[in-house]
Amino acid sequence: MSLRIHLSQLTSPTAMLLQSLDLDISGGVIHTVMGPSGSGKSSLLAAICGTLAPDLVFKGDIHLNGKPLLALPTEQRGVGILFQDDLLFAHMTVFENLLFAVPAGPKPERKAAVMQGLIDLDLASWAHADPATLSGGQRARVALMRALLAQPQALLLDEPFSKFDATLRARLRTFVFELVKKRHIPVLLVTHDAADIADPAHLTQLAHA
Amino acid sequence: MNTRFGAATLLAALGAPLAISAGVALQAGFNSAAWLALGGHPQTLSALGMSLWTGLTATALAVAGAAFLLSRSFGQVHWPQGVRLLAPLLAVPHAAFAIGLVFLLAPSGWFLRALSPWATGLDAPPPWPTTQDPWGLGLIAVLVFKEIPFLLWAAATQLQRAEVAQRWTRELQLARSQGYSAPRAWWCVVWPQLWPRLRWPLLAVLAYSLTVVDMALVIGPTSPPTLAVLAWQWLLDPDPAVNAQGACAAWVLTAVLALTVGVVGWIWQVPQQTFWRTRWTQGARGRPGVSKKLGVAGFCALLGVYGLVMLALVVGSVAGLWPFPLLLPEALSLQAWASVWGSLPTLGTTISLALASAATALIWSVAWLECAPPAWDQRLRPFLYLPLVLPPVLWVVGVHGLALSLGVDARWTGLWLAHTLAAVPYVLIALSPAYLGFEARHQQVCASLGHGHAVFLWRVKWPLLRAALSAGFAIGFAVSVAQYLPTLFVGSGRLNTVTTEAVTLAAGAQRSLTSAYALLQWALPLLIWAWAARCGRARRF
Repeated sequence: MSLRIHLSQLTSPTAMLLQSLDLDISGGVIHTVMGPSGSGKSSLLAAICGTLAPDLVFKGDIHLNGKPLLALPTEQRGVGILFQDDLLFAHMTVFENLLFAVPAGPKPERKAAVMQGLIDLDLASWAHADPATLSGGQRARVALMRALLAQPQALLLDEPFSKFDATLRARLRTFVFELVKKRHIPVLLVTHDAADIADPAHLTQLAHA
Repeated sequence: MNTRFGAATLLAALGAPLAISAGVALQAGFNSAAWLALGGHPQTLSALGMSLWTGLTATALAVAGAAFLLSRSFGQVHWPQGVRLLAPLLAVPHAAFAIGLVFLLAPSGWFLRALSPWATGLDAPPPWPTTQDPWGLGLIAVLVFKEIPFLLWAAATQLQRAEVAQRWTRELQLARSQGYSAPRAWWCVVWPQLWPRLRWPLLAVLAYSLTVVDMALVIGPTSPPTLAVLAWQWLLDPDPAVNAQGACAAWVLTAVLALTVGVVGWIWQVPQQTFWRTRWTQGARGRPGVSKKLGVAGFCALLGVYGLVMLALVVGSVAGLWPFPLLLPEALSLQAWASVWGSLPTLGTTISLALASAATALIWSVAWLECAPPAWDQRLRPFLYLPLVLPPVLWVVGVHGLALSLGVDARWTGLWLAHTLAAVPYVLIALSPAYLGFEARHQQVCASLGHGHAVFLWRVKWPLLRAALSAGFAIGFAVSVAQYLPTLFVGSGRLNTVTTEAVTLAAGAQRSLTSAYALLQWALPLLIWAWAARCGRARRF
């Protein structure tokens, strides 16, 4: 598995956001992109995910497992994303939030996948809880499991730890990195905190645009 | 303490007339002879059936249409443009739209003229019931086309709240990243969260559709008419016993409305635990494809209908001799507009009432939203929305009684009071999302910089809420212009507005004069909406 990004330019109507960026991320690797605010990190993720704002222009190409992504709509790209906010759906229980992510199939198997996910998270007793009653750390873990249950072929992490204090941050980081490495998919982590770097050998620093 | 005192004062100022009106309306139902007469009248049941058929069908279709457009448009490139175009559609009073649609659909209307004689073989208007049809289809069509923009606008006011818009946009992105098509993501993720926030606008649509009088007079069925029209006819009768029968019919409509709301609410709530949750999480991703194009097509179709209606009114207002099946008039005439010009007092009454009642409604609403403790606001909102949810034929009994008791019947002051009471609920609905969602930390920042509350309001909060405030004023203005029953009853025939003139003329054969008044009905709110749009534009640097 691999995620290849060849970016020649990423521009807005008034500014150049990014230029000349080449990334080749293999399965199981967490590649970190660091840069200050305004350096184009989130726009890069939006371009990969297929949610780039209409006024921004991406020049280059993106391939996932050899498949070109740019012409595909978001739902067909197979790229999961985890934002800074957990964005658990307020109208669904924890169980339903996870079930929502599981691809269509026989109901017993889908439910079993969700229950296994909850067990892995040590949150089985919270299955039918309102997401608002979970702690911030619990919600973040549920959000990650939801992203993984959709069986993405690549995963984007948009500053997922920035909301938390140092201790919780470290715990979550360890948890997230272990879980995604087990899935052996390419992961792109965007952050402005050096403590989030998964592997210094897989690091790209962005300058301010 | 000061804010509670302020809120209590505001409540008294509005609550007293509301309570008196409701009390007079309630009292009108205590007449056993009138109830017996109502029950024994041969048209009562069929009229009630017609009201239920047209009201429920129109509401269901309007909700389905608005939800479909939202599912295909929210988050898409054309969504902001579509929302901006809603304002001129909302500015169209219901009666004006009905009159315009009649001119399109009538046996001598534009549609048949366009198809005759080459497609239809007709060289004279046929005796077909294309308007005021016995099945109520014309009334349903007008209600649907009028309520879809209102529901879209109500949804947009929720979606404009920054924290909501950003969150739901990201939730949609997230769902799409998991393989869900854009419409499916909308139905599973955003719509279940938006739907509960639309309950008051939905209730307003249901209440209006079940109880409308002016549109039903123009395009609704006549044999039987809807129960609201029947009640109106009885309320206008010189015989007090028949008036009482009309009041009882209005109470029947109220009871039917309450029952309908209860049933619809139950239908939504009960299966939510099972049916809807299963639908949300069954895993089917939906089909990708032409969703954006359908959204654009839907908006274009809506605009197209409104454009045709407006064109029909414009041409109709200057039509002289216009034999069937000519597509355009043989001769043009400005006689209708000359006649309108001769009725300047009517225009003056309309404009002065609309400006005054919109301003009053806006000032009251802002003061209430500033002063009222959240618990008060939550508990008292249903009471404040009474004019919205009570059938107009019942409400007008109360308002007329209020005007009589205050001695302002047949006076401008009485009409101002009636129009203000009608406008306040709409202005509150328009203003509340933005006002209550205002970032609270702005005030903290202002205070930390040494500024008091008055400076905060005048220099920070109200300028930042300019768009919502001007939209609220425009809505209050449009509501006032559109008031038919209150103007008819409280005005007692001595004070007329362009709306009462238009609806009265629609019953006759003066197409050009009817068109001219209907266009005025449309033009006045449209001008104010244009002003509001300009006023509400973000500052440019």
